[in-house]
Amino acid sequence: MLYALMGLGLSLITGILNIPNFAHGALFAVGAYLLVSAVGILGNFWLGLIVAPLGVALLGLLIEWAGVRRLYAAGHDYQLLFTFGLALILNELIIVIWGPVGISHLPPALLRGGVDLGFTFYPKYRLFVMVMAGLLVVATWLFLEKTRYGAIMRAGIENKEMVSLLGIDIHKLFTVAFALGAYLAGIAGALTAPIRGLSPGMGVDMLGIAFVVVALGGLGNLLGAIAAGLLIGVAQAVVAAYWTEASTAVIFAVMAAVLLVRPQGLFGIR
Amino acid sequence: MRTLILIALSILLLPLVVRPAIATEIWIFAIFGLGLNLLLGYTGMLSFGQSTFFGSAAYVAGWLLKHYGINVLAALGIGVGVGALSALLVGYLCVQRSGLYFIMLTFALNQLFYFIAYQWTTVTGGEDGMPGIPRPVLLGLDFQDPLMYYAFVVVLFLASLWLMKRIVESPLGKILQAIRENEVRAEAVGYHVPRFKLLAFVLAGAFSGLAGVLYAMLFGIVPLEAIGFVFSGNVVFATLIGGSGSLYGPIIGSFVFIWLSESVSTMWARWPLLLGVAFVIVVLFLRGGVVEAWTRFWTWRSSKQTG
Repeated sequence: MLYALMGLGLSLITGILNIPNFAHGALFAVGAYLLVSAVGILGNFWLGLIVAPLGVALLGLLIEWAGVRRLYAAGHDYQLLFTFGLALILNELIIVIWGPVGISHLPPALLRGGVDLGFTFYPKYRLFVMVMAGLLVVATWLFLEKTRYGAIMRAGIENKEMVSLLGIDIHKLFTVAFALGAYLAGIAGALTAPIRGLSPGMGVDMLGIAFVVVALGGLGNLLGAIAAGLLIGVAQAVVAAYWTEASTAVIFAVMAAVLLVRPQGLFGIR
Repeated sequence: MRTLILIALSILLLPLVVRPAIATEIWIFAIFGLGLNLLLGYTGMLSFGQSTFFGSAAYVAGWLLKHYGINVLAALGIGVGVGALSALLVGYLCVQRSGLYFIMLTFALNQLFYFIAYQWTTVTGGEDGMPGIPRPVLLGLDFQDPLMYYAFVVVLFLASLWLMKRIVESPLGKILQAIRENEVRAEAVGYHVPRFKLLAFVLAGAFSGLAGVLYAMLFGIVPLEAIGFVFSGNVVFATLIGGSGSLYGPIIGSFVFIWLSESVSTMWARWPLLLGVAFVIVVLFLRGGVVEAWTRFWTWRSSKQTG
């Protein structure tokens, strides 16, 4: 479900803005680290969970406004270099601020321990994350499908010139989309922190997975991103149970296998 | 001609200015960049996974050098072969897509190879890298002597440059440039575009493989970073700052990049931060690279003289 969340955010950014966002993983990591600091300062997990992703969204806003905006006319190579540079900067700043050693972060007291599901014993916090991520995915989907602004956004994925000809400020739309994508990455990071702990490398690992999700689901295809996220998550969990070392490699193997059969991705049309 | 004199001069002067190891690394990285530029500059394919082929070749050839004591030329041949073969595998999956998908796929498959190298510790040494790669004697030439190895790398670099020049000036090179300019039209004229893209990808992989083996022998170790995505990003960056529109762009880029990173990395452990800042600055203010800035400077100067 977390993968779906990451893929959804990245799909929004790449789909609408048409840029390869290599900073998406770094935004994810910043979300996780901000959560730890916010919880430390505010002393409350729930407040932290609200504040940290908003911080990432704000960062996204700033990045779009200060840099990405100038690069829409430039080629993918320069956009890539820019977001890749940003990823390096954010990653190193994380090390400078929070240190190179991994941090473990406990879930809030309410969500510690596990629940007996009858057939298996499952950690409470993981259940919470699943529900949260599911709700967020649904909320994003509802926003895009049922609200006026969401419809404009989907129109932006289909045809940018047309949307701007209709008198809609496409640049504002881009900014909002980038911030929303960043928010989703941030909250995915914040939710992950208590499960896997934090390390400076977490962003890069997630970036690869997010790309796989988008490549499988199709650019700007939001349902595709959700389905691909679930597929990847399940495949990884199954393999991890039998052969832990290969659990990361299997994500990419699944992608390669799918692309062999369907080069356009699971739901891709382009 | 002027370019040739410049290259000859820099080959001679470089080892006097910097340590031989760095001078050698510059030429190795230039070979790596030449390969990428065939894709980026001549075919218009932005590959963000070139370290896949660089690293794979370095690991395989390094392993054989270390455990089976193979000949240097055999190691180079194997490196080129492994680079081309891995590029064939990756390219087959990627060339059918273009634009953003292509970038993301090359990156994702780069991550696949990275995680295999990371987990397969018995062979690759995982995070510690694969140390103990020898530089065997070839025809009485002792490559333990840094300058001798430098000369060897330079000869291979010149051969690569000559070969690349032949490739881009051949009919094949022209077809690739046609694909860059207008893919639909190239297809309409009758060229099977995916096949030519794949061919370019494999050729670039072969150059990357050669660079990978030379790199492994230079440092005696294959670090995990050699197959990591930052390495892929670095070669894109070096090619872009040099100017991807020119055959010689990657060479200049490699100079600037290796020299800067080597001098800064010894000063500060967090130097990738500066690297990131450099990326951002180049993108926002210096698009077009050194070669273009240089030509812009010359046209500006000559317009001043005439006007």
